[in-house]
Amino acid sequence: MKKNTQRKIFDFFVKKGFNDFIGVPDSTFSEFIRHGLKKNKIIITTREEEAIGVATGISLARNFSLVFMQNAGFANTLSTIASLVQLYQIPIIFLIGWRGYLKNDAPEHLKIGKIQPDLLKIIGLPSKILSQKNWKNSCVWALKKIQKNQPCALIVKREFYD
Amino acid sequence: MIRKEAMRLILAKINSEPIVSANGFISRDLFELKDKPSNFYMIGSMGLASSIGLGVALKNPKKRNFVFDGDGSILMNLGSLTTIASLKPKNFIHIIFDNASHESTGGQPTATSKIRIKNIAKSLNYKVFEVKTKNEIENFFKKISSIIGPIMLIVNVQKSTIVSKRVDIPPIKIKNRFIDSLKN
Repeated sequence: MKKNTQRKIFDFFVKKGFNDFIGVPDSTFSEFIRHGLKKNKIIITTREEEAIGVATGISLARNFSLVFMQNAGFANTLSTIASLVQLYQIPIIFLIGWRGYLKNDAPEHLKIGKIQPDLLKIIGLPSKILSQKNWKNSCVWALKKIQKNQPCALIVKREFYD
Repeated sequence: MIRKEAMRLILAKINSEPIVSANGFISRDLFELKDKPSNFYMIGSMGLASSIGLGVALKNPKKRNFVFDGDGSILMNLGSLTTIASLKPKNFIHIIFDNASHESTGGQPTATSKIRIKNIAKSLNYKVFEVKTKNEIENFFKKISSIIGPIMLIVNVQKSTIVSKRVDIPPIKIKNRFIDSLKN
């Protein structure tokens, strides 16, 4: 995704009242994070589950929060999503990178990348893939979801290979 | 002293300030001793009490915010100590009931019989206290009124066979009443 679009997505959420973006970095949307760090609105945690915990606390104090992670990290979080986020209906937007769907990606990403859509479906986390064109609609959709206390995910495809 | 007794003494010093309690016997003890809306009982998500408590503390700066954690629980999420220490919430009081075991799952040993959480927390610039007796707990609460957090209290307790009842409030209700309690 273009750097400019990543910044726009970040600014969109800030405009909607988000002050806290918490997670484990992903090079897929590194501009989103760089931009957020500059604005002092990013908390980097040691693991993805930890990020969800912090976001949950922030949400309990009536503030929006977004949790970002790689898809390898998403696989770490399944139990936390089920036994915390979904059980208590904590309104969190997840921003998840997606690599491994390209056949020539690094071997450690292939398995999780392949099963990512199924993982999202099985765990019951509604999601939309962000694109250059539709990102705003998807972000509006996510915002509506969490206003109804429904956690959801936005997926950023990794379109480059390094 | 056993955990439930230590918790009873500590609860006498906490009014309606928020408490995030770790899953397992810690939440069950808290529920049985003094149920109130400002308790957030975790019933799943092992290890995350300190992280949830951090989030609450960051957005609730005018109150003292408590976490009731266990040794097994904090060992599962040791990384959270580095995040807490780097964000330095002044109003964060992290209480660890340390019985050197996973009591909720049958009393299996944890590493705290061999290593000291106290030293880890100290190296991260937490203000750390360790207590064993009723008097020491009372002294701790006298001292901390003038201390800026993050504060950690390690309460050394014995294993016990007393099992408190399960938290029988539906999770969504636990959440909603906790959110409402923060308004006050």
